[in-house]
Formats: sequence, C-alpha cells, structure tokens
Amino acid sequence: MGHPIPPPQCLYDGDFPGVLKAYGYEIASRLAAVGPKFADEAHKGAIATEGTTVLAIKYKDGVLVAGDRRATAGNLVMYDRAEKLINIDPNSILAIAGVPAVAFEIARVLEHSFKYYQRSQLQDMSTAGKVRSLSKLLKENLPLTLQGVGMVVPIFATYEQGNGKDGGKVFFYDAMGAQFEGVDYAGSGSGSLAVRSVLHYLNTWGEKPLAKYNESEAVVTALRLLNTAADSDTATSGYNPKSNIVPILRVITQDGIREISESELAKAYRTEV
Amino acid sequence: MIEEPYRWVEAIANRREYIEDQLHRGSPVVLLGFSDGLLLLTVSRKTRKVFEIYDRIGFAALGHPADIERMRMIAIDLAHIEGFNRAVNDVSLHRLVSFGMSPALKGAFEQVYGAPYIVKILLAELGEDSDRDSIVKLDYDGSIGGSEAEVKEFFDVIAGTEEAERQMVRYLADSDADPHRSLEKALQLAALTWAVGMETAERSDQAEREEGKTEKIDAVKALKEHLKTRRVEAAVLDRNRPTASKFLLLEEKELRSALKDL
Repeated sequence: MGHPIPPPQCLYDGDFPGVLKAYGYEIASRLAAVGPKFADEAHKGAIATEGTTVLAIKYKDGVLVAGDRRATAGNLVMYDRAEKLINIDPNSILAIAGVPAVAFEIARVLEHSFKYYQRSQLQDMSTAGKVRSLSKLLKENLPLTLQGVGMVVPIFATYEQGNGKDGGKVFFYDAMGAQFEGVDYAGSGSGSLAVRSVLHYLNTWGEKPLAKYNESEAVVTALRLLNTAADSDTATSGYNPKSNIVPILRVITQDGIREISESELAKAYRTEV
Repeated sequence: MIEEPYRWVEAIANRREYIEDQLHRGSPVVLLGFSDGLLLLTVSRKTRKVFEIYDRIGFAALGHPADIERMRMIAIDLAHIEGFNRAVNDVSLHRLVSFGMSPALKGAFEQVYGAPYIVKILLAELGEDSDRDSIVKLDYDGSIGGSEAEVKEFFDVIAGTEEAERQMVRYLADSDADPHRSLEKALQLAALTWAVGMETAERSDQAEREEGKTEKIDAVKALKEHLKTRRVEAAVLDRNRPTASKFLLLEEKELRSALKDL
C-alpha cells in the first residue's frame, strides 16, 4: 500500500484490471519486455514450463472438469503434481493449458476481478461478463503468445443459476483470446486432440450422449480419456500407481464446486480404468 | 483569509459544526458478537448501509450516501490490491484504516476549500478466533476510535450524536452480556439498541424546542414505531461459513422472524 491513493471516482465501473493499472501494475508488461530474449532461449531448448491436457464434460448434474498433473519444460518433466484446475469463484473453474507462469497470473487477476466486481457493484457478474473478462486478459497477453513463450489456452467452466436456465456452461479459448462455447464438452492442451476425438465419438455414436451421463460415468470417462491422452502425448501424465499421483477432477453443480476425492478416484481406477 | 492561522482554526471549527449538524439525525449502527461471529445491524430507509469489504471485513456507516460510497470504494480498492499483490491473509483492517481510509478522511477534512466527507464508519474484522476479532470506529476527520465498551464484551456502536452513542453503550452494557448468544438473540438486542440510539438522537432535537422533558425510552415501542417506515438491515461475519468470504447479508425473512416476538 505504498502508493498514493488515486481518486476512486475513476474506478467506479468495477473493473479490477483498471484499478490495478491506476495503482501502477501492468499485467503482462514485465514479461513482455524480456520476451524476445526469452523466445530466443526457448527456441534453443527448454525454458518455459508448460502444462497440458485439461478437459470439461457437461453431464446430467452440471460440468465435470479434469486435468492431468504434469508440467513440462521442453522434454523435461518439471513437476508431476501440478494443479491445473483453479477455482475462480464458488461456481467457476479455470482449467489451464499452456505456460503456468502466465496462466496463474491470469487466474489471480480473474479471481480478484470477480470478487471486486461483486463487492464494489453489489451484484454478481453475469456469465457473459466473466467469459469476456478472461478473453480480455488473454488478448493482453498477445505479445507473449506471438513470441511463443507465454501461450495460455484455458477452459472456463461454470454453473449458471437464477435466470431460468440453470445449468453447466463450458467455454474454451484460442491463444489470442477468441472465446467459443463448448456445446457438450471442451478439451485443451497438447493431449486434447485425442481427448476431443474420443469425446466426439462417444457423444455421437456412444450408448448415450454425454449430457445423460451420471457423475460416476463422467468420472470414469474422464479418467480413461486422460490415460488415452497420456498414451500418445509425452507431456500428459496418466495415472501413476507407483507414486500414487492421480489426476484432479472437480464437478460444478447447483451446490457449487466439489472435488472428487482420491479414494473415489482410486476405486474407479481399480475397477473401471 | 485562510492564510492566517487563527482563521484556519476557525474554518475547521465551523466545518466540524456543519458536519456534526448534518450527521446528528443519522441512523445508528450496532456491532455485536454472537456465537458464530459478529453482527452488524442498522435500520435504513432506502440506501444500503452495511457492506462487505473483503473476505473477513465488514463495513457500516452513517452519513451522506455519496460519501459512504466513496469511503467504501477506497477500502475495497485497497483491500483487493493488497489481496492480489500479496495474499488474502495480508489484508488487515488495521492497515486498511491507518494507512488508507484515515489519511483520506483527514486530508479531505482539512482542505478547507474542498468538500469534507460527511460520514462515520464502523468496521469489523473477523479473526481466526473471537479473541482476534477487531473493531474500528472511524470519524469524519479521520480520527480512529477504539471501543469504550471492550472491557465487558465485544460490541460497539456509532450514532449521529455522542449522547446517542453513550445511551446505546449503556443499554448494551445493562443487558444480557452473554457473548455466545444466538444470532436471533443478537438481532433482537442490536435492533433494540438501535432504537435507543435513534430515539435519543431525535429527542435531543425535540429537547431544544421543549426543554426539560426526560422520559425513559421504551426501546420496543420506539423500534416498532420506526419500523413502520424503515427496514432492518443486517449482515454477519460468520466463522462457520464454508466459503472464503465470511460475510453474509441477512435476508429480510430471517430478520422479520427474529424480530417478530419483541
């Protein structure tokens, strides 16, 4: 709080990135300044850590969001316990694929943006407004994306309530910030090609469409999908029984966010995967 | 004229008188501990007076609505900047008030060519346990008041006049002092305390006209009379809420059912 207090009048629109700017904080500028050098190094070998393969499936009660645990830097496994699902508010999850350094910062700005909006404007931000906020942040990250060092391609999953159309919603983004609504599912990251292909197959020719899955069916499907992605993509970790590292799965329903416990996942692995 | 020191002191004194005149009919605010945390209560006509600043910080004020809004915005901006730049646990009421809100109020008050804030603020922070809760009273000139009442238990009030505040604290100190009271009990006691404060402030008006009449205040009757044209507004900072934010604005239904047996 070392800064002089700017007059709050200019901040009355509830825009938290605007407040940050008024206090002298630029979201991507520090990284962007060293971008060219960084990009050069990145081409020579591994430097930026990346996270991979997240997916979201709309099922009967809401949305299931899943992410593997691996973060890589080139051909090096940086970390096998990365958490790629970030709770942004009581009903929304950001699933990140791409460079965690940027993605975590974006998530942090987003989380505070929603809280700030709700407290200052005394109403919740609409789903469209939330989706748009993320899009704006990704656009601000464009210089880093173009330099090839700070690309983030997230999925935003939320449960909409109170306007007569309760239900889960899934949005995915390209690296430049364009947003698309996933009608039934979305996948992102290096392993997502496999994931999306299988989901398309299941949704179109499977026993029943994804929207009719119950929770345990959705969980088993997500676990199988992550293993499928890990089979062909080295940057995705499957289930590793030796070190007991399991993926992270969360559901968003009308009761908010709930994490699928490790014991539930272990049971699913034993019997179904 | 302000260049002369005496004139400046005079200008400040005039300003104090003006602000206190503006504030004296303001609706009081009561802060009270209950079994799960802290309760902030006031009674308002239209504009909202009780707000959330951050996960564990509540804000209630009396005064001009536009000034209340400006102070609220300063507090929210500072809290969120700190929570973003460092961590949620680094946001503290003490720093927010001492380094942000109080200097802003003092600055505006002493700039005799500019408009001062016409506002009195009561802030509460919920600690990890009840020993670490804190309350801050903030006056229009930026002075920070502690609680006179802390010795006995955790409560505090703000009102338009000092006399009203004194009467409210006395009423609270004389009543049931169990800090583990239920929310319903706390709501009832807070609402009655509010009525004592409002009635005292209004009577001091009348007293100027018809001197020497001091009748004992019937809190229940006064509250019922006021609730014909106003509504109770209350929020809790509840330690048991599962979410990161412990603040909850109470719904009118809950308030009505708690106050119906008075």
